[in-house]
Amino acid sequence: MRQLLTLLTTDLVQRLRDKSVIIFAVIVPLALMGAMNLVMGDTMDMDLETATVAVSAPEDDQLAAQLIGAIQALPEGGLEVEVTETSAADVQALAESGDAKLGLVIPDGFSAALMAGEPVEVEAVEGDGSGIESTVVLSVVQGFLDRAGASAVAAAAGAELGLPPAELGGLAQQVATGESAISMTTGEASNEQLDPKGALIAGQAGLFLMFTVSFGVLGLLAEREFGTLARLRSMPMNPHLITLSKVLSSFVLGVVATSILLTAGGLLFGVSFGSPLAIAALIVCAVIATTSLTFIVIKLAKTSEQATVIQTILAMVLGISGGAFFPMSGTGLFGTLLDLNPVGAMIRGLGITSGGGGLADIGAPVLILLGFAAVALVIARFVPDRGAMA
Amino acid sequence: MTQTATEPTTTGDGQRVLVVDNLVRRFGDLTAVDDVSFTVAAGETYGLLGPNGAGKTTTISMIAGLLEPDQGSVTLLGQQMGPKKAAPKRHLGLVPQDLAIYPDLSARENLNFFGKLQGLAGGELKSRVGEVLELTGLTDRAKGPTKDFSGGMKRRLNIGIGLLHKPTMLILDEPTVGVDPQSRNAILESVEALSDEGMAVIYTTHYMEEAERLCDRIGIIDSGTLQAEGTRDELIRLTGGVDNIQLTGSGDTAAAAEALLALDSVAQADAERGHLQLTVHDAPTAVAQIVTTATASGLQLSDVQISRPNLESVFLHLTGKALRD
Repeated sequence: MRQLLTLLTTDLVQRLRDKSVIIFAVIVPLALMGAMNLVMGDTMDMDLETATVAVSAPEDDQLAAQLIGAIQALPEGGLEVEVTETSAADVQALAESGDAKLGLVIPDGFSAALMAGEPVEVEAVEGDGSGIESTVVLSVVQGFLDRAGASAVAAAAGAELGLPPAELGGLAQQVATGESAISMTTGEASNEQLDPKGALIAGQAGLFLMFTVSFGVLGLLAEREFGTLARLRSMPMNPHLITLSKVLSSFVLGVVATSILLTAGGLLFGVSFGSPLAIAALIVCAVIATTSLTFIVIKLAKTSEQATVIQTILAMVLGISGGAFFPMSGTGLFGTLLDLNPVGAMIRGLGITSGGGGLADIGAPVLILLGFAAVALVIARFVPDRGAMA
Repeated sequence: MTQTATEPTTTGDGQRVLVVDNLVRRFGDLTAVDDVSFTVAAGETYGLLGPNGAGKTTTISMIAGLLEPDQGSVTLLGQQMGPKKAAPKRHLGLVPQDLAIYPDLSARENLNFFGKLQGLAGGELKSRVGEVLELTGLTDRAKGPTKDFSGGMKRRLNIGIGLLHKPTMLILDEPTVGVDPQSRNAILESVEALSDEGMAVIYTTHYMEEAERLCDRIGIIDSGTLQAEGTRDELIRLTGGVDNIQLTGSGDTAAAAEALLALDSVAQADAERGHLQLTVHDAPTAVAQIVTTATASGLQLSDVQISRPNLESVFLHLTGKALRD
C-alpha cells in the first residue's frame, strides 16, 4: 500500500509539473466552452422578452376581438405580451420606430369576410429588433385565421347538406371557438434534458474526461520509453502495482478535472447542475467508466504515439456520439448503443440532477456507467497484451 | 557449448551471491538467450562482454526479475528470482542502460522515490539519500530538476539510484554508453570501489577496455550463447596464449629468422621484405633476448612492435567475428 501511494503521488506530482494535464484537461475545455458559448450564444440564450404588439382592429368586430384575445392569452404559455390597440397608421409608425416588435392591421369587415369564406388579409409589420417573440405571435395569428377559415368551410358544407340557415351560424361559431378535436399536451421531451449551456458544459467535460484519463496510460508508456519501467519492475514489489498506480492516477486526474470543469463551467455560464452529492456520484462513475478503457489501451498500445491515436479515436467516437457537441438520437440498435455511451449517460445524469434529481434518481445512468466499466474490464482481460507491460 | 577456462577460484558455494543456471529465453522463433549459466561471488565483478544484440540485456533482464525465463533459473542469495518475487529484489540494484530517472523531479526526489520503493524510510532514507548525493557528487545540484543535468550527471544519478539501498548484487547494464571520457573514468572508479567493498557486480559492456580493467571474470556472449568465461588471462590462453613481435630493419632477415627460431621463446619466425614477424611466448619477458639475437645476426633494427592478444582477439577466436561487428 505504501509503495502504491509512493507511485501514485510521484506520478501526480510529475503530471502537475509537466503542466500538459492542466492545460489539456482544464484550460482547453474551458476555453472551448467559452468559444462555443460566444458562437452559439444567441441560440443558447432562450429567455424570451416581452412581445409588444400594436393592433389596429375594426370596432365591434367579434372575430377581431377574439383574435386580440388570443394574443393577450399568450402569457399563459410563457410569453409576456403587451397589446396596444391603435389606428392603422400608428401601427406602422410604432413598428418602424421599434416601440412595437410587431404591428397587426385587421381589416374592416374581418368577421363577415371570414364567415363568408372570402379571402381576408391581416397585415403584419415586423419592427426593428423583432425576434422569436414576434414569430410566436404571428403563429398564433395564423392559427386563429386557419381555424376561422375552417369554420367558414364548415358552414358552407352545412349549407350544401341542407342545414337550416339558423344552424349554420352556430356550426361556424362552434368550429371557430370550440374545443379542438385534436389536443396536444406540452411538456418536457425528457426529464433528462439539460438546457443548451448545461449540455455544452457537460458534453465538453465528458469529452475531455476521455482525454484526461489517457494521461495514465501515456505515463506508463513513457516510463518504458525512458527506461524507468525496467527499474520500477526491478523493485521489491508486485509489478501490477505499477499499472494500478497509473490507472489510479488517471482516476484522480479525471475526477479532479471533471469536477473543476463542471464547477467552473457552471459558475461562468450560470448553470446549476443540482445536488453536489449526486453530481459527485456521477463524476466518479463516469471516471470509472472512461478509466476502464485505459486497461484496453494499455494492452494494445506499444508506444505513446499508438496510445494517443487509440485514445483520441475512442474519445472522439464516444464523445461525439454521446452528445459532447450536439444532442444525438437514434432508433433500434443504434439508439440502444447511444444510450449505453458513457459520455451520453453522464450528460443524461447531469440533466436529471439539474432538474432537481438526487441520488435516488440517477440509478439508470449510474448503472450504464458501471456496466460500461465492467464490460471494458472484461474485454481488457481477454485482449492479448502487446503493450507496455508485455 | 561454453568453454570454461578454469573453475572460478573465488566462488565457493558459501560465497556465491548469484547462480544463473541454464537460462533460456525465446521471443517467437528467436532464441535470445540459450542455455546461459554462470555464478558471481561476493566482491567479484563479473563482466558480460559481447556485441550489441548478443543477449546481454535479455540475460540481465532475467537476472533482475524483469523477464521470466522460458527455462532455467536465477538464484540470488539462495532465493529464486522472478518478476513477482519481491524478496530477492531487495538485495538487487539495477542500473539500466537507459537513463532511468524522472526529468521533472530533482535528484533528491528521484532518490527519495526509488528509496521508498526499496523499503527505505525515515532517517535511514534521508541518510542514504545524502550519502548517495555525496558519492555521486550531486549534493550541490540536489534540488534542481534532472532535465537540466548534463549527460554525465544523469549517468551518475542513474548509478546512485542503484546503490541507494546498499544492494548485495549490483547490475550495471552498459553504464558508460554515451558518456564523456571524464565521467566514464569516474564511473569505472566507482565500480572498482564498490567491488572492493564486497559488492557483487555484473557489468555488461561491449567495450573491451572496460571489461579488462574492471572484471575479475568475464563471460563472452554472442548470439545468446555464453561462448567462454574465465579471467582475462584464462580467456586469452584459449587463443593459444601467444604474442606477436614485429621487427623492422635492414640486413639479412632470413638469417635473423633462423637465429631467432633457435630461441625457446620463439615459436615461429616469418621473414617478409624488411620485416620479421615472430610468434612468441610471453613477449615482454622474451623481447630483450630477441632484440639481442637479431642484432647479433646482422639485422640493423629500426623498429620493434609487440602485440599481445586481448579480449578482442579472444572474441575473434571464439566467434570468427570482431567484437564491434
